[in-house]
Amino acid sequence: MNDTPVSEPPREEPSGEATTEQMPPPRRLLRSTGDRVIAGVAGGLGRYFGIDPVVFRIGFALSLFFGGLGALAYLLLAVFVPTDGDPDRAQRLGARLRALGIWRGLGLVAIAIVAFFGLSALAAVAAFAVGLGWGVPVAIVIIAIGALLAIASLRGGARWLIPPAVAIAIGGGVAAASDLDVRGGIGEREYHPTTVRSIPADGYRLGAGRLVVDLRGLDWGKHRVLPLEVSLGVGQADVFVPKRVCVTGTTHAGVGESEVTGERNDGVDVDHTPAGSRSTPRLNIDASVDVGQLRVINSDTADVDRPGFGPGPFHEDTAPLRAAEARACGTG
Amino acid sequence: MRNGLSIDILSLGAGAAIAVVGALVLLDSAGSLDLSLGWMAVALIGAVGAILALSGLTRQPKRHD
Repeated sequence: MNDTPVSEPPREEPSGEATTEQMPPPRRLLRSTGDRVIAGVAGGLGRYFGIDPVVFRIGFALSLFFGGLGALAYLLLAVFVPTDGDPDRAQRLGARLRALGIWRGLGLVAIAIVAFFGLSALAAVAAFAVGLGWGVPVAIVIIAIGALLAIASLRGGARWLIPPAVAIAIGGGVAAASDLDVRGGIGEREYHPTTVRSIPADGYRLGAGRLVVDLRGLDWGKHRVLPLEVSLGVGQADVFVPKRVCVTGTTHAGVGESEVTGERNDGVDVDHTPAGSRSTPRLNIDASVDVGQLRVINSDTADVDRPGFGPGPFHEDTAPLRAAEARACGTG
Repeated sequence: MRNGLSIDILSLGAGAAIAVVGALVLLDSAGSLDLSLGWMAVALIGAVGAILALSGLTRQPKRHD
């Protein structure tokens, strides 16, 4: 037996230094100072993921049209992700927020939210005033604020006045351009006429709220042609007709959505002309909603209180409405 | 940026932009102009964009990134 220990070749123990040399440093997300358009977020993301930053820029831009979550993400990344160079303004802001602590930071967020809703309320008041027919006075106020700002610029400026001025200008401008009219009253109005004579000659109007006109109780004789005017300033207008009635005429939504016999459109200045037909019975509608939603629902079973919510032919599947319209108008 | 005359360019530009929007609202409300919502949106976005651009241009950077 040989007690002599067998010498084994020395094993190379991995040392920290060797590991450091062999392993690449962990990648860190940094905003780019060399490839930046706003805050270098897209440039940094592109470098981090090895993708062309233009892809991220397009993504952030597109997100503005889908709720703006991308803009919020961009803002957060700009504030809380450091740059690969000297700290910029956003990074200093992030450092200040971290230094403030959670409660103060939340306080600042609360103040920002209050300011946002305050400015929104100001815009709404301006829009409402224009809708009441005070467009000229509101315009004069906007011009006066603009002049005040210009005059104040000679005395050091009045920058605090810019946000409320912009809010009033946006509210008044949108209301004026969309011909907002809220003089027809405010609230929820529901009409179920059972005779043609009970329908007002100038149609149904409402300033703001929900307007429901249910024409399914009418005697729709085989040759009935009913002209109807519906006008709403802000809110939701729903017109119900039996599915055997052909709907023609024109509908207009200034800002919002129109859903006429299953044809859905949304956006700005949404005009829709239902299929031209001389089939009877026929509803010849002239309907407009300045801001909000306009629906003409050709269904015998739709619930007046909950059309478009929950199970049913609306929003989930509008094909039955389009098919009924095609049958009623003889265009299918 | 404030020059020797102490004119606040941002307030001046914002005032001009706001006044232009006010003039459009006035013309539309008085019936002299029938501005569509699309064109008003262009005007409003232009005004806000001009104010933001002026805000950026008149800001004196503390350091160059």
